Amino acid sequence: MLRSLCSRLEPQSLICAVTRGMSAYSPHYIEAIFSKKKQLNLKETDEYIKLSHLPIKAAKNDDSESIFYNELVNKMVNYITKGGNKKLARELLTKSFECMKRVQIERMNLNPESKDTIIADPEQLLIKAIENSRPLLQLTAIKRGGVKYQVPIPVTEKRSYFLAMKWLLEAAREKERKVHLPEKLAWEVLDAAYNQGRVVKRKNDLHRQCESNRAYAHYRWS
Amino acid sequence: MLGRHSFKLPRLTNMCVAYSTAAAEASVEQLYNRPKLTSTDYRTAENNTKQHSAVHEGKFYTLSPEQKKQLFSGGGLPRQYEQQIKTFTEACLMVRPTSLELLNYIRNTDFTRPVVRYVLYGENGVGKTLTMAHVLHYGLQNNFVLVHVPWVPNWMKRPKETVNATTQEGFIDLPFDAAAWLVHFKTQNANLLTQLQLKTSKDYVWTKREATPAGSTLLELVEHGIARIKFASETIAALLSELKQHANDDKCKIMVAIDGFNAFFHPETRILGDNKQRITPDRVTLTQPFLDITNYNWKNGVCVLTVDKIGMTEGYMDSYLPRYLLGKEGFEHLDPFVPLHVDNYSDKEFASCIQYYLDRNWIQKTPEGFDEQLKYLSNKNPYTLMRLTRSL
Repeated sequence: MLRSLCSRLEPQSLICAVTRGMSAYSPHYIEAIFSKKKQLNLKETDEYIKLSHLPIKAAKNDDSESIFYNELVNKMVNYITKGGNKKLARELLTKSFECMKRVQIERMNLNPESKDTIIADPEQLLIKAIENSRPLLQLTAIKRGGVKYQVPIPVTEKRSYFLAMKWLLEAAREKERKVHLPEKLAWEVLDAAYNQGRVVKRKNDLHRQCESNRAYAHYRWS
Repeated sequence: MLGRHSFKLPRLTNMCVAYSTAAAEASVEQLYNRPKLTSTDYRTAENNTKQHSAVHEGKFYTLSPEQKKQLFSGGGLPRQYEQQIKTFTEACLMVRPTSLELLNYIRNTDFTRPVVRYVLYGENGVGKTLTMAHVLHYGLQNNFVLVHVPWVPNWMKRPKETVNATTQEGFIDLPFDAAAWLVHFKTQNANLLTQLQLKTSKDYVWTKREATPAGSTLLELVEHGIARIKFASETIAALLSELKQHANDDKCKIMVAIDGFNAFFHPETRILGDNKQRITPDRVTLTQPFLDITNYNWKNGVCVLTVDKIGMTEGYMDSYLPRYLLGKEGFEHLDPFVPLHVDNYSDKEFASCIQYYLDRNWIQKTPEGFDEQLKYLSNKNPYTLMRLTRSL
């Protein structure tokens, strides 16, 4: 319910009105529709005629039509990437997925009765973990009368996904030297998927702080 | 400006909507739309390798934990396959056509004739080692004495310790690896050797005070080698020549299985000699005994060898064919041999493998056409398939 309230607070037009300063494309360029299926769907409607007269951005080179493609997973890979080494990042996430799956399959084997309730699909686990660690509110410093106040403001949907993934990754990177990232990431994701662990705690802490600062909420507008 | 909004919106909401609960449930329905599995399609209860025939082709049979431990505790299965075994809580091997062919040859062998050398070759990851594992299992079940080297390149590429050999001038000794091999030999054959009671034919004098007299059992010889690591390599030489002798006298049957055999004929090893130069494999003391036992001058035996591209070092990995990998020398050493090509999965085997993975919960996502896509991506290569399905 809180989420629906938030989306009402933040009109969606506001999200889109933010222009990308460094974009190579003028604002009137539209995103490419790379999927063959979607293109064919569009052809049936008159949307297609409208689109054919609009300038279109080049399709991204990591968009894929594969049935195993998942936008959120792809995004996660992008966040893991350091120094443009995306190949490594993809490998790391794959390893992490493998690790998660092995842990879950082991759990399944330990007690066969709960076989149907245990999710062993690593992609679903990641999605669940991200959903569980998405924050609704965050704090920003706003100066009023010479004093900076920590004002709770709602988080846009996009940023909430970003924060969730960032937190998961930060939790995974904070580890002993001997533990490898894929392993630690797997543990963090598994924890978060079961609504436990450091990332979920971090989200709850932030929410608690926002709650205690609710008195400053009106500084957002006035 | 307005137009831009209306087009930008779908993309933004796309990501969010797809993971909101309602839509997610729908996609989950589709993802977990599991095909019904009948275990007889991909499994067989026939654990006796002697009975394996074309009926069982492409099906998985289970290796009992005890036998797995006896055969492969000293290596012999790829590390990632070991990991799979742990996850799947069972050791399953697929009955491949190449191993069926090979088993058929072995079953119909006339053991009074000189040994036949079989050379398994094939691309990376097609299952040469696992084919060999199947044949080894056959050897175990049919009372062959197993002379199994899990992976020769380990000796040539990363030996545990190198020492100058004492008896042979200019040779390099690998005492730890040799002792480890003796332990492996012992775990595989201890039961059979106590049954057969094979005796040594002559005295082996190691030092002034240590000797293995003629008439002591082979197990005693092996145990001495394990206890006195310094003499492990010489013990192997003695053991293999004794075994050969016994086989010639019809006292036992021997199955020689050497994985990565081409490493014995590699142009160079990674072992450094006295003058900090890389030495050739023929200057390692372990090489000669194993070359002797793969010779054809004895009977009552069968040699199964694999040649492998990844046994070589860079610059020598252009082809997987035996002539290239063995070189002229190695090829002439083995000639004449029976080459057996291990191939990628056939359509039937691929389908059975996918079903087995589904059965073991290894493949979690089954959107429509997933097997077709995997087939296309992996080119039906077993190893690639295993790697691809890691994250699914």
